Parts: sequence; structure tokens; C-alpha cells
Amino acid sequence: MSTTTPELARLLEHPAIWRGRTAARTEVLPTGFAALDECLPGKGWPRTGLIEILVARFGSGELYLLLPVLAALTCRPAARWCVWVAPPAEQKARLARPADKSRDFYPLTPFAPALAAHGVALERMLVVRDPSLWSFEQALGSGASDVAMAWARSPRTREIRRLQLAAERGKTLGVLFRPQRAAREPSPAVLRIALESRPAGVCVTLLKSRGGARGSIEVSWTPGWSRVGS
Amino acid sequence: MRPRVIQQESERQAPASAPVPGSARARTGRLTPLKPGALWRFPGASSVVSTELWVGLHLCESNSEGGDTFLPERPLAQGQGAARHEQVVQGLERLAMRAQQFTPRVSLVPPDGLVLEVKGSLHLFNGVEGLSHALANECASMGLKSMVALAPTPLAALVAARAGKPFVVMDMARLVGQLTPLSLIALRWPQETLERLARMGVRTIGQVLRLPRAGFARRFGTEQLAILDRLTGRNPDLRDRFHARERFRRRRELPYELENHDAILAALAPLFADLGKFLEARQSGVMELECLLRNRHASPTSCVLRLATPMADVCRLTELLGERLNVLSLPEPVRICELRSSSLVARVLSSSHIWQPGEHGGGSGVQAMELIERLRARLGPEAVHGLRVLPGHRPENAWGVTEPIEVRRGAGGRGSASGGRTRAAHEVAAQPPWPAFRRPMWLLPAPKLLSERDRLPRRRGPLRLLGEPERIETGWWDGGEIARDYYTAVDLHGVRLWVFRERNPPHRWYLHGVFG
Repeated sequence: MSTTTPELARLLEHPAIWRGRTAARTEVLPTGFAALDECLPGKGWPRTGLIEILVARFGSGELYLLLPVLAALTCRPAARWCVWVAPPAEQKARLARPADKSRDFYPLTPFAPALAAHGVALERMLVVRDPSLWSFEQALGSGASDVAMAWARSPRTREIRRLQLAAERGKTLGVLFRPQRAAREPSPAVLRIALESRPAGVCVTLLKSRGGARGSIEVSWTPGWSRVGS
Repeated sequence: MRPRVIQQESERQAPASAPVPGSARARTGRLTPLKPGALWRFPGASSVVSTELWVGLHLCESNSEGGDTFLPERPLAQGQGAARHEQVVQGLERLAMRAQQFTPRVSLVPPDGLVLEVKGSLHLFNGVEGLSHALANECASMGLKSMVALAPTPLAALVAARAGKPFVVMDMARLVGQLTPLSLIALRWPQETLERLARMGVRTIGQVLRLPRAGFARRFGTEQLAILDRLTGRNPDLRDRFHARERFRRRRELPYELENHDAILAALAPLFADLGKFLEARQSGVMELECLLRNRHASPTSCVLRLATPMADVCRLTELLGERLNVLSLPEPVRICELRSSSLVARVLSSSHIWQPGEHGGGSGVQAMELIERLRARLGPEAVHGLRVLPGHRPENAWGVTEPIEVRRGAGGRGSASGGRTRAAHEVAAQPPWPAFRRPMWLLPAPKLLSERDRLPRRRGPLRLLGEPERIETGWWDGGEIARDYYTAVDLHGVRLWVFRERNPPHRWYLHGVFG
């Protein structure tokens, strides 16, 4: 895609213009993994908007993938909240279980010492124990949070569209964790990736991205992880 | 004989006794000892404008229908009904709180009067006309009829209002002339004094001012003379300033029982309006607001709104309380609603940022707390919390929930940069002794028993243990003793789990965390 006129080229640099297969120049956040940066449009997570991470099993490494960006966002001088909406319940240890009203249901807690050890600023954490998407939309659209993460059961496409708009309104990075089978459903999210766990990392598959990049990539954690695993 | 003496003494030592400004001017040549209180007698002093201007507000009588009536039917006799007196003072305080929107200097004159110093704020309310109108409106909104007069001394203003003569006197020189025709009854002296004066033929303020000071003091007491001095501005009139109560508490009895949440919220609107004025007058906000809904039989329903930051915006308070009320189930229709605040917190106004939140790395400012309040109003205060690390080796005790606080940053980049530095330094100091990857990202609230086969844990298939165990054995001093060997385990699907085996028999396996 070559443009001859410099004026036109400059005009096309506007972030609101999204041209087919070329990646729009949007503000991005480095993921912390060089291999993943290369693969993503704009070389990082989008700064605003909703991304979907589809995992086969809860705990496949989705949080470790986000830790570098969480640490970077929360340690900035003017950091906003990092909201955890409805951390999942450990009942059958898998996502996408219909909400069980019974009592044998353990709300999991983000383990504060581990977060702090990974360099995440704890005073910016906000845990919201509410399984409805209302809280997530509030967190995204209020402009008070840098990043909001939610573990939703089975959101509808229309609801995801609302969340995406809210994230853009609040200039927030929204992360929605969904089960793998949701890959078949269409989604208005900016970026969709699927994760599969590997012995020393994860395999990231790009399902949808602005710019149309596709493909799979292996991301491995820091050496500390493999030492534990060896 | 006596009348002559009175005449002489009044000329010599009662400068306040000039009945008409004109005659005062005629005599100024002879005797004008320049005293602070007698400045108006100085030659050419008739244009001197007093430094104070007081509004005297006298409540005539309460309207019969509707409204809050707190005034007794007759003026209170001495010692009659302490409870009634308390009620009257509370009513006056309520009015005084409303009057504080015009000036901070408001004093109560029980049972039915109020004086306000308005010299400084008169121009803010469209002058005398506008202010009198606004005051009358405030009284009318409480269902009271009022009489307002303005004078340079508080007592003169009040006396004029009581006498039903709503004059406006801006300068001292004209004060006495205006007071002269008023009846002595408005001074509220003891009945016996008034009768003795009446027997002497003294019925108006002008007549009593014409009496000789020394003789008057001897016959009627220095107290009454001091009152006259304060009335004419000869002596300063020091009054206790009214201070609004530290907490807001107001109840309203509903005309009929209500069940609908929206209707209850609408019924609360006057209470919220009062609260808004209360907070505005004190330049404060509330951190906690309680709404009590009383029913006919059942015990009162309480609805507590806790806020993350002091708030004075009544609209938002109403909105937040509405969210709380919506999730409330009422046992019975509501008859009485009551609004109570906890102690007030001074509001600190901060300047807003040039950038929108999130723009160019701008912070969130006000929205940070607004988000928490909105979530809490709907979900309850426990549903939103922050996280913190606690010192301790037991995983259960190593973390805690905390109140999310907005880190107050100094204006500009310098303050925030230093804030970042101190926090980074703190983090280095609190570096845990274990590698970051030895702890899971999710912790179960309580360890969950795992099934086992051949003394190895299983969870939907066998678990593969990785690496060496980490022994945590501590807590013997407080009864929460643990002795565990923690392992990282991988299940069939590649999910990493944090499991432990008890060191003591029966050596069971437990799941305690999930690596994200």
C-alpha cells in the first residue's frame, strides 16, 4: 500500500482512519514479550478498547501474559485504577460455567504478595465482587481506570459492543476472559486471542486484530518459571 | 421640678436622646465629646455610615396549614415547659442554618427572633430589596411569616421588626430618629418596669431616651440602661454567633404511607435540600449518610450510604441513596423518614487537570472516587475493596483487603515523580524472600481437599509435581499453626496449581492456589 502524495500519507496517519490490512497507528502498550509485540498490530496491546482472551482452562497462563502491562500501567506516576471485576469462582476450575447459586463456591482472590512480587502496584488494585457486566461497564466507561479485567460467563455480542464503546469512552484497556468455545461467535472486540498453555509459557493465537494479522506464536515466561518447572 | 431636671440631664449626658436629627444638628456646636459610640453627634457626622448593618428578623406567627410550626401560640412564660423551649430553639436553629447562606454572622434571639449582619454580603443579594425578599422566601418555605428591618445595631433592627415597622436605616445618624416613635413593648422589658414607665407617661423609645441617664439607672437598673446603649449603638452589642450543629439530623413525617421506592426518594427530597444548605453553610461534606425509614409496626429500616470521599453534592447523594434504596426490601409501608449524617469533613477543593483522564498520561482525579461510590451504592460497601500485603509467611495471612484510597498527588509533575520514587523505594525494601514465580496469582479462600492415589494428589486426573517443595511451618504462637510442604503441580490440561501436603499425619493433599 504505497501512497505517493505526502499530504495524503500524512492524512492517513490519523488514528481514526483504519485502512483495510494496514495497521492503524494507535497508541499501544508494550506487552513485555518481544515476540508477541512483533506479532500484534501496532507492536503491543491497544491502549484503549476491549480485548478478548479465550482460554481453554482457567489458569492457562492468561494472567502471566498480562503481568508486564499491569506492572507498567500501575507504576506510572498518574496511574488510575486496575479493576478486577468478578474474579472467577473456583468451583469446577473452569470458566463458562453457568452461575451456580449454591453455597459451595469459592471466590478466588488475586494473591496480593504474588502481584507485588511481579512489580504490580497494589494500591491501584480494585477488586469488585459482582458477576454482572454492569460493574465492568462502569469501570470501563468512568475514565477512572487504566485497565479493567472481567471474567464473564457468556456475554452477548450486543453487550460486548457496549463494553467496547465504554472502553473507548473511558480510555481504558478492557480485558475480557472467555472460554475457548466462544471463538466461534463474532465479537466487536478490538483484539481477540486464544491461549493454550505450554510447559514454559503459552501459545498465543491471534483470532482477530485490526490490521488483519493472523497466526500463532509461542511466548515463554522468564527463566524463573522454567526453573520451577524443571 | 422633676421634668426640669430630666431636661437638663438629658442635655448634658444623654447624647442618644436627640429626638430628631434636625434638632441634634442644631445643638452640635455646644457639647460633642467624641466617643466611639457617639460618632453620629459629631458635626457633619450625619453622613457617617456605620460599619455594620444588621437585619432583624421577627417571626410573627406560623401559618396554620402545613409547614413546620415550632413557635408557641403565646410568648413563653419563664420556666414554662423546657421541652417546648428546646423545640423552639431547634426550629430557630433550622431557620438560622438557612439564613447562613446570606452571611456567616447569624445570632439567635429566642423565642422568635434572628439577627444577621449583612454589611459585607448585601451587594451579593441585590441589595436590601433582594435580601429582604430572599429572607421572606426562606421563612415562607418553612411556613412562617416574618417581619424584617435593617439597622446599624442588631437590637434596633430587631426592635423595629418586633414593632412591625420594617424600616431600613443605613447610617447611625438617622437611627435614633427612626426609633423614637416605636413602642417600648418591643424592647421586651419586664412587665413591671413597663408599667412604672407608663405611669410616668413614658410609652415610646423616644421618651425613654430623653430621660436622664443617672436617674434612669437608679430607678430602673443599669441593665435596662445598657440595653438602651446597645440599642442606639452607644455601646457595642456583642452577640454569640450561631454555629450550626456538627451533624445533620432531620426527620419528616409523611402525609401518607409510602411503599414505592421512587416515591420514598421523592419524599426525601426536602430533607436533601436541607442537607445541601447545611453542608453549604459549613463548607463541608459527608462521609456517611444514614437514611432511617420507620414503619408502623416493624423495626425501622436503616440504609447507610458510605462514601469514599467527602461529598456535598446533593444531586449525587440523592442518586447514590436511590441506588441503595432500590436494593432494599421494606417490611411495611414507610411512615416517617429520617436522614442523619455522621460527623462532617471539611471539603478540600482541588484544581482539575488540563487533560481528560487517560489522555496524555493524565490521572483520573475525581472520577476515581466516583467510580467506587457508584459501585458501592449498588453492590454494597463490601463488594469493592483494594488489596494489600501483610507481613507473614502463612499464605492466608499474607494479604488483606483494604479501603481503596486515592493517592493524593501534588499539582504538577514534580510531586507525582517524587511519589513514584518513594513507592519504588518501598517496594525494594519489601522484596519477598521467595522467587516471584513460586506464588500463585489466585488464592483459594480456604484450602480444598484433594483426592489421592498412591499418595499422590489427583484433580480430574493425576497431578504432576514440579520442582522442589517449599516448606512453610509457622504460626505456632497464635493457634493458627501450619506445617505444609508446598508444590507446584500441573494437571492434565497444563494448568498450574499450588498444592500442599500436610507434614503431620494424615498427610493429606490440599489445593491452595491457581497460577494464573
